[in-house]
Amino acid sequence: MLVALVGQARRLAAVNPAAAALGLAPGLPLADARARFPDLAAAPADPVADARLLERLATRMAAFSPLVALDPPDGLLLDITGAAHLFGGEAAMAAAVVAAAVAACGSAARPALADHAAAARALARFGAGAAQDVRCLPVAALEPGEEVLAALASAGLVWLGDLAARPMAPLAARFGEGLVRALRAILGEVAPPLIPWRTLPPIHEEARFAEPIARTQDALAVIEALLLRAGTTLQARAQGGRRFIVELERGDGLRRRLAVETGQPTQAPAPVMRLLRERIETLADPLDPGFGFDTIRLAVGRTQSLPPRQIDTAGTAAEAGDISALIDRLSLRLGADAVCRLAPVDTHVPEAAQRLLPAREAPPQAWDLAPAALPRPLLLFDPPQPVAVIASVPDGPPLRFRWQGQLHEVRLAEGPERIAPEWWHAPDGQQGAATGPGHALSRDYYRVEDAGGRRFWLLRHGLFGETEAPLWYVHGLCA
Amino acid sequence: MSQPAFFAEPVAASAFSFLRGASAPADMVARAHALGLAGLGLADRNTVAGTVRAHVAWQGLGGAQSGLRLIVGARLVFADGTPDIAAYPVDRAGWGRLTRLLTLGNRRAEKGDCTLFLADLLGHAEGLALVAMAGDAPLLGALGEAAAHLWLAATMPRGGADARQLATRMALAQAAGVPLIATNDPLYARPQCRPLHDVMTCIREGLRVQSAGRRLAPHAERHLKPPAEMARLFAACPRALAATGDLFDAIGFTLDALRYEYPHEPVPPGHSPQGWLEELVARGGAARFPAGLPPAYRATLAEEFRLIAAKGYAPYFLTVHDIVAHARGLSPPILCQGRGSAANSLVCYFLGITPIDPVREKLLFSRFLSEERDEPPDIDVDFEHERREEVIQYIYRRYGRERAGIAATTIHYRQRSALREVGRALGLSEDVTARLSGTVWGSRGGPLPAARLAEAGFAATNPEIARLADLVGQLVEMPRHLSQHVGGFVLTRGRLDELVPIHNAAMEARTFIEWDKDDIDALGLMKVDVLALGMLTCIRKSFELMRAHGLGDYTLASVPREDAATYRMLQAADSIGTFQVESRAQMAMLPRMKPRCLYDLVIQVAIVRPGPIQGGMVHPYLRRRNGEEKVTYPGPPGEMREVLGKTLGVPLFQEQAMKLAIVAAGFTPAEADGLRRAMATFRRHGTIHHYEIKLVEGMVARGYTRDFAERCFEQIKGFGDYGFPESHAQAFAWLAYVSSWLKCHYPAVFTAALLNSQPMGFYAPAQLVADARAHGVAVRPPCVLASGWDNGLEGARILRLGLRQIEGLRREWAEAIVAARGQAPFAGLEDVARRAALPARAMALLADADAFAALGHGRRAAGWDARRIAPRQLSLFAATGAPELAAEPGPALPPMPARQEVAEDYRSQRLSLRGHPVQFLRATLQAQGLCSCAQVNAARDGARLRTAGLVLVRQRPGKGNAVFLTIEDETGVVNALLWARDFEAQRAAVMAARLMEIEGHAQRSKEGVVHLMAARITDRTALLLGSDAAPAPPRASHPRDMRLLPKSRDFH
Repeated sequence: MLVALVGQARRLAAVNPAAAALGLAPGLPLADARARFPDLAAAPADPVADARLLERLATRMAAFSPLVALDPPDGLLLDITGAAHLFGGEAAMAAAVVAAAVAACGSAARPALADHAAAARALARFGAGAAQDVRCLPVAALEPGEEVLAALASAGLVWLGDLAARPMAPLAARFGEGLVRALRAILGEVAPPLIPWRTLPPIHEEARFAEPIARTQDALAVIEALLLRAGTTLQARAQGGRRFIVELERGDGLRRRLAVETGQPTQAPAPVMRLLRERIETLADPLDPGFGFDTIRLAVGRTQSLPPRQIDTAGTAAEAGDISALIDRLSLRLGADAVCRLAPVDTHVPEAAQRLLPAREAPPQAWDLAPAALPRPLLLFDPPQPVAVIASVPDGPPLRFRWQGQLHEVRLAEGPERIAPEWWHAPDGQQGAATGPGHALSRDYYRVEDAGGRRFWLLRHGLFGETEAPLWYVHGLCA
Repeated sequence: MSQPAFFAEPVAASAFSFLRGASAPADMVARAHALGLAGLGLADRNTVAGTVRAHVAWQGLGGAQSGLRLIVGARLVFADGTPDIAAYPVDRAGWGRLTRLLTLGNRRAEKGDCTLFLADLLGHAEGLALVAMAGDAPLLGALGEAAAHLWLAATMPRGGADARQLATRMALAQAAGVPLIATNDPLYARPQCRPLHDVMTCIREGLRVQSAGRRLAPHAERHLKPPAEMARLFAACPRALAATGDLFDAIGFTLDALRYEYPHEPVPPGHSPQGWLEELVARGGAARFPAGLPPAYRATLAEEFRLIAAKGYAPYFLTVHDIVAHARGLSPPILCQGRGSAANSLVCYFLGITPIDPVREKLLFSRFLSEERDEPPDIDVDFEHERREEVIQYIYRRYGRERAGIAATTIHYRQRSALREVGRALGLSEDVTARLSGTVWGSRGGPLPAARLAEAGFAATNPEIARLADLVGQLVEMPRHLSQHVGGFVLTRGRLDELVPIHNAAMEARTFIEWDKDDIDALGLMKVDVLALGMLTCIRKSFELMRAHGLGDYTLASVPREDAATYRMLQAADSIGTFQVESRAQMAMLPRMKPRCLYDLVIQVAIVRPGPIQGGMVHPYLRRRNGEEKVTYPGPPGEMREVLGKTLGVPLFQEQAMKLAIVAAGFTPAEADGLRRAMATFRRHGTIHHYEIKLVEGMVARGYTRDFAERCFEQIKGFGDYGFPESHAQAFAWLAYVSSWLKCHYPAVFTAALLNSQPMGFYAPAQLVADARAHGVAVRPPCVLASGWDNGLEGARILRLGLRQIEGLRREWAEAIVAARGQAPFAGLEDVARRAALPARAMALLADADAFAALGHGRRAAGWDARRIAPRQLSLFAATGAPELAAEPGPALPPMPARQEVAEDYRSQRLSLRGHPVQFLRATLQAQGLCSCAQVNAARDGARLRTAGLVLVRQRPGKGNAVFLTIEDETGVVNALLWARDFEAQRAAVMAARLMEIEGHAQRSKEGVVHLMAARITDRTALLLGSDAAPAPPRASHPRDMRLLPKSRDFH
């Protein structure tokens, strides 16, 4: 069941059959629904995703008719003039369309056939059962708004037939032109044009040669030309390609497929060419032209929106481009998960303040270092290394410590910087006094410099009072 | 260390630094005391709202004798980037400047905010001791010039660079010549409060703890720290520690220094307040007793005057009298009546503030005012709800905005709100919190019990849920924001803003002060409650209608007393529309109580309350009253007779419970008073349990049975929710009587007045009208030729519905119709539209309400024509007066079926004079074997029945172990009861049904009241939505159709 925010109240936007069977209907406030069924499962409605789904569905319907129109939020109109016989008649075609729609989106579909789009639409949305006569539709099929609907009801006009039987002028005088227009459209007296849903065809470029190309170099030159053409199309659509597939067909019928992916959407041939060359070089079975390729095809397998950008004269964009190209090439060679980038994480816990993400998927992020009172060490040990420390209680700085068998006399020290554990991770749900076994401990960090001028980041794990004998660690080395 | 460390915390925040401080003021004081701090300075963000609570807690510890000193002020947070500065008044004048400074910032900002600039502080700094939380040399220089006392705060926040920061501060202090003062800048009492503080931060900033990151505090250090720990932290700068003592020594101000002075206005020149009061009372007494006061009255009066003079309360009585006299002096006068304990006072009675003669009713003045209690009296006055604003504006005019303000109401977190916000902060899905809050009935405080969690399907051991439950328990009862009280005015002689900061209220032309009712009580300020009561409006309108139609001239005081017919009516539970005794529970009680005199009504009003019901006192009282049980007095002979004699040995009133504590459990009057306070604030503080052992054990020791003692305590607890003192019940009983008298003798008048005073009361217009018709009132429909805006009379027993009953119709439209009608009779629809200049929408509403029927246009035809009339008119036609619209062919609309007429009536007016929606289903229902409501009410005890009707009310009162349902059909109303154990399984039907079928057995009480004990509930709403005479079945119901039916009153 889906919930949408309508005004201040959250109301049901759609219900599944189980919920409908319980008597819940769209429009009911969620609070009322919950009062009836406290353990109702509800998810927020996502109109954007719905619209996308509808568009995808419309694209599929191209198999049935060249003229498909969207009727948002949840309707499709197909002009099947001259197409029905291909599917064994209108009824059979309707069944096939429904089957295709159900298969594509998994939800139920209700078909209706009529001579006009408006009538078919009204029958599908407001018709009951197999009724085919628009005159038996309720006046609500005109979608006139609540007030007019009530006025129609109080006038005793219940069905479209009641309206159709009356002169139009008095109706228009009372209920508005819009109502009459809608009525006439459904009755087929006027036919507003369908606005067809146009799907963008996949980008596909092809070059055929009378004289097969025998040299790989030449083939690459052709691919580059194809990429240039695809790039123009991409530019017109404000899109960039993320996956490019090249198919080379040899005179003897052998086909080779090469696919490369880029980290950033691109319209220019150069990065793709670079990747293709790398790919060809690393092929176990080299690209053998044999007697030559007579067809080369290029398809853009995945696209992403890439709005046109101002040309950058300062050259910083080029630099960023260089890095992303480098990432693409390294990812191609080492594997996508092997090339990573550090991303900041907002937390007080030092070792958790950054994480590795696959470089190709994660855009670079700004590092906000301001809130940290003290600079963090350049090198962090993972895990921190235990040390033996002599320090004054309860939270005095270390006086001397032994690390890796060597004794360090502390000359200068600063701290503590206290970092308490993140109580919301406590396994037992308690978060008050952090005493007792199993509780995460607070940490006190000290920056210290030993007699030799070396700087360390020492950590006492546990405050006095939290634990009997706190342990000490070196967590990092400072510059 | 040889000498114990010295430290007084100079800058502490409490939960009144909303969503920043995580401990209540009282907790901060208690913790500071327990840690052995020498003092605590409470400074919340731009507010002194928490200071009184801290002060009260401090006095509870013994005040200055406790060893802890308390100074109160505010932490000034600036809008111009100036660092925070804590400001403490050194003396009374300094306090006035601080509150004026805060008022300045409050009035400048939106509601709930305070916009301050450094310049404001510099202008108000005299008499303030300042602690700058940060700053540079120029700022310190400017502050040092403005204020006599200035410190620079130093903290050791454990941030890694504490020592370096302290050194910088020391250097700055040295350079600026300003002493350093040590503080931990605490935000909560204990380190354990950190999770709550983090959650508050998340609520404030709209974050989730998991992703809030460094916006949360890194650790739990901002708690109150003991002196030894502070000494250790500030070992490098002991002077800063010693400076805390200097700060506290500099301040001689406590809230005890606030001396309240009454306004002088009500006393005419040349009179002393006491003299003038005695004169006014003497006049009032002479009016009531022209032959001279009987001795009992003279004695009572002398005693009251003595106490009033001793306490100096005369101006208070005069102030209330002044307001009441003004309201009564208006034309037309505003009805008003005092309520609450003021009715114990003969002075109030003679001043005309209260309607009750306390001597005749044997009420105790000491309940209102006593020697021992050093708190001002509390007089609450009810005014007509529609005209209360006039009274409020009079008070502002008379005393000026700088001297009159409305008290605040501190809005606390309730379980539901705490659950929602903590859930969000912890990152739980809305689904989880919604499920949990679904199990919270009502809005009581306290932690979430594990049973509730289990009910929602969660294990209390789940860490997420355990955290949620724990934190909700901590957040509940924390203050959330300030809002204005419904009508509690504080009036002063001097400037109010030198006593307490003033805020802008959300409502236009309203301001309120920062302290709530409890704070005002604690400080002994005078408060006048100007409350609104709908029934007063209704009674005034009834009297007006009666005067206008020659049915008599009455006032509240002159209504005939002890009218037998009125009591006969009430004995038959015929009380729809009356005051207080109209609810279902009251109606069930009436035939058992059989009230015969006003005092019976007093008891009736007081008995159907949570207190007596919880204490199990109702049935014993009824049995004794009906002579089925001997009247005995528990405990030692004679002791209780005096306390409980009036109520046949059963404690029913609040003051009886108090007296019982004194007489039976050996409480001192002061302890009993503490008990009374605990009753009032039980829900918030839970302090009443301290008294439980004392009361029960005390009573048992003195010879009472433990069972009786425990029931008494249960009842006292119940009073915490809604307890009635006897005097209050007296005042309300009188209104109940007057409204019943009106209903009994002038049902048409009473119904018209009730309808004209909507919204008020328990019943919808449909039930009120049906009830009037059942009492022989002819009710006529709204009509453009006969109706005004208000409902009116066309004869002593003929009620004409007003145009105000038509939903959506505006008053000015109705008035235009009445004015146009006065000039010449209407010729037709178009004529109405043109001469009353009505828009199309008004015409459509009138047509749909069938208000043109008298013009010969049925609803359908009128609707058809009304919708045609053009919204604006060509002047050419206006001049000629000729019809503008050309003739058009007849629409040949089908006639409207009766059932739809009724439905349209309901849609337009929420009632129908034509019939009841269920009557059209009668044949169907009968064929299915369902009874009518009348048949149910006539059934024998134990009969198994099925019936159906429109749902009027769903309630799940009190502990929620039963659901009460009221349904209605064309024959009457059935009250049904469904046990909670049967409810869950049929929850959907119970909650969703508009038309409900109930199967169960009838339970007939001795007095003949029938309840249907429901076993099975079925939702039959679909039956109502079926349509007739249609060519094909409709597809589905449009939500609009649902609204044909009157909305029921539901409990969720």
